[in-house]
Amino acid sequence: MSTLTFESTRFGTVEIDEEAVIEFPAGLIGLGGARYAVIAADPDAPFAWLHSVEEPDVALPVTDPWRHFGDYAVELSDADTARIGASEADDPAVWVTVRAASELSGFSCNLRAPIVIWNGCGHQVINEAPDAPVRAPLFPDAVAVPTA
Amino acid sequence: MLIITRKPGEKIMLGDDVVIHVMEIVGNSVRVGIQAPRSLPVYREEIWDAVREENRAAAAAMPAALPAAARRAA
Repeated sequence: MSTLTFESTRFGTVEIDEEAVIEFPAGLIGLGGARYAVIAADPDAPFAWLHSVEEPDVALPVTDPWRHFGDYAVELSDADTARIGASEADDPAVWVTVRAASELSGFSCNLRAPIVIWNGCGHQVINEAPDAPVRAPLFPDAVAVPTA
Repeated sequence: MLIITRKPGEKIMLGDDVVIHVMEIVGNSVRVGIQAPRSLPVYREEIWDAVREENRAAAAAMPAALPAAARRAA
């Protein structure tokens, strides 16, 4: 099992299994990049990091959407299904990006553009299912701190 | 920006591999067909812009900003 080391401005020097590197042929929407890895500082924590293995300061917190939204559904266009090259039966990994905020009530995840990982390849796709907002609140019970 | 005027039925080539068909005009809308290599994603611009914004916001986070535990959905 060979390993790969990359630099991270957040986490220092990170060593991963070479097989954990994910190729993104089309990068992430608006962010680009070609090679990323999912790193989890704490396997029990709700958040992992999708970290560029090329750019030390590019990393996005991600979470498992079904951990927060039990009936989350992903519907893809025929074009995106073909682009990924996998079907549901192939059991791809699905992550959604997390927008952090100073208050819990401001945290959200992007259910509209999940990241689908399969066979060492990753694609950010557009979910055509209804009720898949780009900013889905992660902590709906949290109360926003009122200002002044 | 290159500005081209087309009639329904006419097409635009982007390089050799992408074809934009101007198919028909219905009321206020233009129906556009796009032929592109399977590997090239095509987005409605407003969706692409919203997703880019979320990606940028996510990428701005530092580890300390994330809570250690999350409440499960009911």
